[in-house]
Amino acid sequence: MEPRNKIKNNIRKLRFENGEMTQQQLADKAGVTRQTIIAIEGGKYSPSLTLAFKIAKVFSVKIEGVFEYEE
Amino acid sequence: MSKSQAESWIYFFLGLSCFLIPGGVAIFIAYDRGISFAPVLMFTGIVIWGGLFWLFPFICGKFRKGKKKVTFDERDQLIHKRAVMVAYVVLWLYFVAACVIAWCIVGPHGSISVNVMPLTLLGGLVIFTFVQGLASLIQYGRGGGEK
Repeated sequence: MEPRNKIKNNIRKLRFENGEMTQQQLADKAGVTRQTIIAIEGGKYSPSLTLAFKIAKVFSVKIEGVFEYEE
Repeated sequence: MSKSQAESWIYFFLGLSCFLIPGGVAIFIAYDRGISFAPVLMFTGIVIWGGLFWLFPFICGKFRKGKKKVTFDERDQLIHKRAVMVAYVVLWLYFVAACVIAWCIVGPHGSISVNVMPLTLLGGLVIFTFVQGLASLIQYGRGGGEK
């Protein structure tokens, strides 16, 4: 059976590396709810392309630095 | 808990407490005693439920405090869209079942009262709201909106 979510992320690590940013702060900057950030970090939700780029921009990294697609 | 999730809980319990339970009890009592006040109770439930449904956004908007932040994002939108789709499918199945069951009970040469028609529509409305709330809650419980 195919895994539910093949897209992995290291948002939690990036948050701590960026001044221990909270989930709420990241949510405010990305323009989403905190619950969405929690779902993304937990691998339960794959963000849209727009949101993925917004999150990458918050951390000032490329999108590949935040999300990784596992074959 | 997000605002949308809280609203889903509200719709779920409103549908359950204001209509389904009193309606079920009324039907049971009417069937048991032969009293025909079931429509009155069901109408009362509709009024209460409809009133709360209409008033809820105004009440919540009045007492909401704190700075405004995002309360409905893309994930909530996806969950809502899926919940509505599921509710429409169940609504369709409900109407199909209502037609088939009525035909099975009454038979091909029988007839039913026209009062059954608005009650059927009303039941569909309640089921739609209930299923939409339930589908939203299930998706939120799973983490929500997984593609």
